[in-house]
This record gives sequence, structure tokens and C-alpha cells, in this order.
Amino acid sequence: MPLLEIDHVTRRFGGLVAVDDVSGAIAEGELVGLIGPNGAGKTTLFNVICGFTPPSSGEVRFAGELITGLKPWRICRRGIGRTFQNLRIFPNMTVFDNVSVGAVGRLGIGPVETLLRTRAARDRARDVSARTWQALERTELAPYAHLLAADLPYGRRKYLEIARALATSPRLLVLDEPAAGLNDTETAELARFIRTLHAEGLTILLVEHDMSLVMGICQRVMVLASGRKIADAPPAVVQQDPIVLEAYLGTEEPA
Amino acid sequence: MFDRFDIFFVQQLVNGFSVGLVYALVAIGFTLIFGVLNVVNFAHGEIYMIGAYAGLLAILVLAPPWVALLLLVLAAGIAAGIALERAAFKPFRRFRDEASLKSKAMRESTLLSSLAISIVVRESVEKIFGADMQAIPRAYADAMQEPISLGELAVASGQIAILAAAVVMFATLQWILKRTDIGLSIRAVAANPLGAQYVGVHVDRTVIATFAIGSGMGAVAGLLIGLYQGTIFPAMGFAPGVKAFVAMVMGGLNSIPGAVLCAIVLGLAEAVATEFFGQGWADLVAYVFLVLTLVFFPTGLFGAGRERV
Repeated sequence: MPLLEIDHVTRRFGGLVAVDDVSGAIAEGELVGLIGPNGAGKTTLFNVICGFTPPSSGEVRFAGELITGLKPWRICRRGIGRTFQNLRIFPNMTVFDNVSVGAVGRLGIGPVETLLRTRAARDRARDVSARTWQALERTELAPYAHLLAADLPYGRRKYLEIARALATSPRLLVLDEPAAGLNDTETAELARFIRTLHAEGLTILLVEHDMSLVMGICQRVMVLASGRKIADAPPAVVQQDPIVLEAYLGTEEPA
Repeated sequence: MFDRFDIFFVQQLVNGFSVGLVYALVAIGFTLIFGVLNVVNFAHGEIYMIGAYAGLLAILVLAPPWVALLLLVLAAGIAAGIALERAAFKPFRRFRDEASLKSKAMRESTLLSSLAISIVVRESVEKIFGADMQAIPRAYADAMQEPISLGELAVASGQIAILAAAVVMFATLQWILKRTDIGLSIRAVAANPLGAQYVGVHVDRTVIATFAIGSGMGAVAGLLIGLYQGTIFPAMGFAPGVKAFVAMVMGGLNSIPGAVLCAIVLGLAEAVATEFFGQGWADLVAYVFLVLTLVFFPTGLFGAGRERV
């Protein structure tokens, strides 16, 4: 059974069909890329998966369960973590607190329990703190834990978003254009980092513009154009696919 | 002669300080809700009034001990806050996309819906209890008027109670925000509602919790001040509401410590102003402060570059 199953998803905005009958699946442990030219429907498909917009028709299943129509926080708690292309960090909170929000999100303990220092509350506080530190260490942000998020350099803030998503203990991590705004060195570093996460067993869906990143690290690439899926194959095959070349890469040589 | 004037002046400052604390009590809940939702909750003054009336009812019917009275009013405030959120704010949060979250129209609509609820509530209370001042039974009101002398200064026990309440509320709120899970969620939603919901924060529940906390505090403030002043009436929330609003704007709109500090400054300034002008001019102080703040410190005195709430 695939971890994520996209089943004939269509999303219309008035007369515009942003996503047109797209199906696909991601198996546990895969690292899959989702690419397409601007306006291809990547973001819309992404938003349908994460619960931002419901599909007009079709279903999304996660670990065998239907998740279409669930609120974003429910979907997050089911195990899909995401990052944003335009960062959505909490700028005036510390790096540690930013990541804690992800660690706390899954199950809250109320102020009363905290005040009474119940066993459950103490165990949980320890658990939250442990998961936060773990996420910070995986993203090498631990030294900056007590800095304000707004004071981090742009490149580090990307990792902060990933750390925050990791703290929610996702089974599937969806990255929305993580390389946007990074230079080549930073992109290469990010590629290594994503590969490490994948090697540790995380399933990753990478929505990306940057060809070198997707082609370099993904095992499989789905290509969207004008709302339709036109290819779903390993990078080497996609790069040779005449339909993809025409729709997406134009007449240029593939990168 | 000069000595006498001095002590009188200090006494005025003490009184001004306690008036400032009254504004601060109201401003805490007001600013908390603004910080999280980025909307002005015009019904906060009515929550304050409901707190006072709930307290009066409890006193008349049950004559409970002080702790029970405070808890009852706290519960009434929390219930009223949740009802208010459901009625005036929730309907406008159906749209979760970013455009709506940032849309001015959405914000202005809750401005009006909360104003509408506040009018309905105030008029209903007036219909039930009448528009007149209701006297608080002596047993309770007198307890707030015990004179306590500190050297040459005289303060009422109610002023001490209000000071204690302000300190406890402020500290409790800081503790909730900084030390509890729900506080962390509140801060996250205040900073970025969209980002928060994608890392698993239940935004709806967080907003309700914010209203519950802010309104519980507002209701307790209404009770204490009603008891201290000895009378309550349906429109009693208006004047402190306006002062709390001014304090919030001066403090930078979403800074609770800033709002508390500015509320105290406001109370002191009013007391000093009555030294030089007639009593009737005291209200002008708040408006002058508001205008000066907006002209010279558009982000408030403590606003820029700090965490919301």
C-alpha cells in the first residue's frame, strides 16, 4: 500500500482547471520530485494534499485513510509535515520556540495539568523538549537555539522551517521549493541534507523549480503541465521524454 | 504648607496609579485578543460589564465567599468569551487562505460584528436589570473600602486588591504564554496563523483559548472594579474600554507589557491633570495621548520589532 495516494484529483477555480485529473502515489521511503513550469498546478496539487484547498473531485489518501477535506492541522497530525516557499516562521520567537510549536502541535497538555505538574505533563514536557532538540540537531541549528528566528540568515531560516516540520514527526515531508532564493553552494548543501533525511528513512516529496536539485537527488519525478500529469518516471527517463522536453524544458538541452 | 501640598500630590499619584491599574486590567485581555487575531474586540467592555453583573447576581443569590465569587465570575467571563468568539469572530474565519487572513475587509467585519454583539448585550442587560446604577450589597462593597494608611498616605483595601489582581493576572498570563503548550500555540498563531496550522496547531481551539483567557480576566476586572466603585451599570464597560484601547495603541498594539505600562501612565497623567484642570478635563488626557502617539510614534511606544502578545 502506498503511503500517499492521489486518486483522480481535479481542482477547478471557476472556469480554470488548475489540476486536471491527476493520479499518483508515493511509497514509504521514496524521494519523489514534483516539477512543472509556472502555472502547471504544482502548488495547487500541493495545497490539496496539505488541506489548504479541497479538491473539486477526487481523493487523497494517506496511509490508507482518506484525508481530503481535513483541516491542515489534522493532516499535519496524521503525519504530513510541510515547509513553505515563502517562509512562514515565527520571526520574533526564538529558534527553539519555533521548533517547539511543531513538537507541541500533535497533542496539547493544558495549563491545569502543567500547573499541577501531573506525571503526564512532566513526561510530555520532556518529550517536547527532546524532540525539539533532536530536530534542531538534525538541521544543525542547535547552536542558534536561543536566537530570535528573525535574526537567522535567510539560508538558515529554510532549515528552521524544515526543523519545525521534522519536530511534528512526519511520515511524509513535503518541501515547497526549498531551493528558492539559495545560491549554488547553498543548494548543493541542501541537496546533501535532503539526501541524508531520506537515507534516515523519511519519505519526501519535493516540489521544486530547480532542475539540478530534483534531477540530482530524486528517485522518481512527476511532471505537471497545464494541470495534467505528463510524466512519472526516474529522472534519467524524464529528461529524455520528448513530451516533457517540449512542455517543460522547451527546446533547450536539459540541465 | 509646602509639605501638605507634597503629600497631597503624592496621594493624587497613588490614586492615579490605582486608576491606571484599572485600565491595565482591562487592557491585558484586550491586547491579548488583538495580538492573536489582529482585530479589535469591541465587546471586551461588555465582558467586563458581564463580569460585574455575574458577580452581583452571585452575591445576591448565593452570597458566596470571596474565592468562590472570583471563580464564578472567572467562569462566567470564560463562557461569555467563548460565546462571543463563536458569535462574532468564528463566522468570519471560514476562509482560511492568506488573502482572507490579511484582508482588511475581514478584519473590519469582525470589528463591526463585535460592536454589534456589544450593543445587543448591553441593551439586553439594560432591559433585564434597568439602566440605573445597581448598588453592590454593603457586606461586599465595604470590604473594598477599608482604609489602610501607609505613613501619611491613605489607600482603600480595594486599591490593594486591584493592584494584587493586576500583578496576578499579568504574571499568570506571562506564565501561560511562556511556559505552557497552549501559550506556545497562542504565540505561534499570533506570529503566523498560516504557518501555525501547518505544523499541527489547532488554530480554532487556540483562538477560543485566547478568548477564554482574555475574557476571564476582563470579567474579573469588571467584578473588582464594580465592587470597588460600589455601583455597576450596563454602560460601565465603555469608559475603561476606551482607556484600555488608548493604552493598547500607545503600547504598540500587541505588547501586553507595553499596554500595562501605558495604562498606568495614563492613570497617573489623568490624576496629575486634575491637579491643574477641572475634573471634567481628565478624559481629555487619554485622547491627547492617543493623538500624540499616532502622530509621533505610529508603531506605539513599545511596538516595533518585538513578539506579538
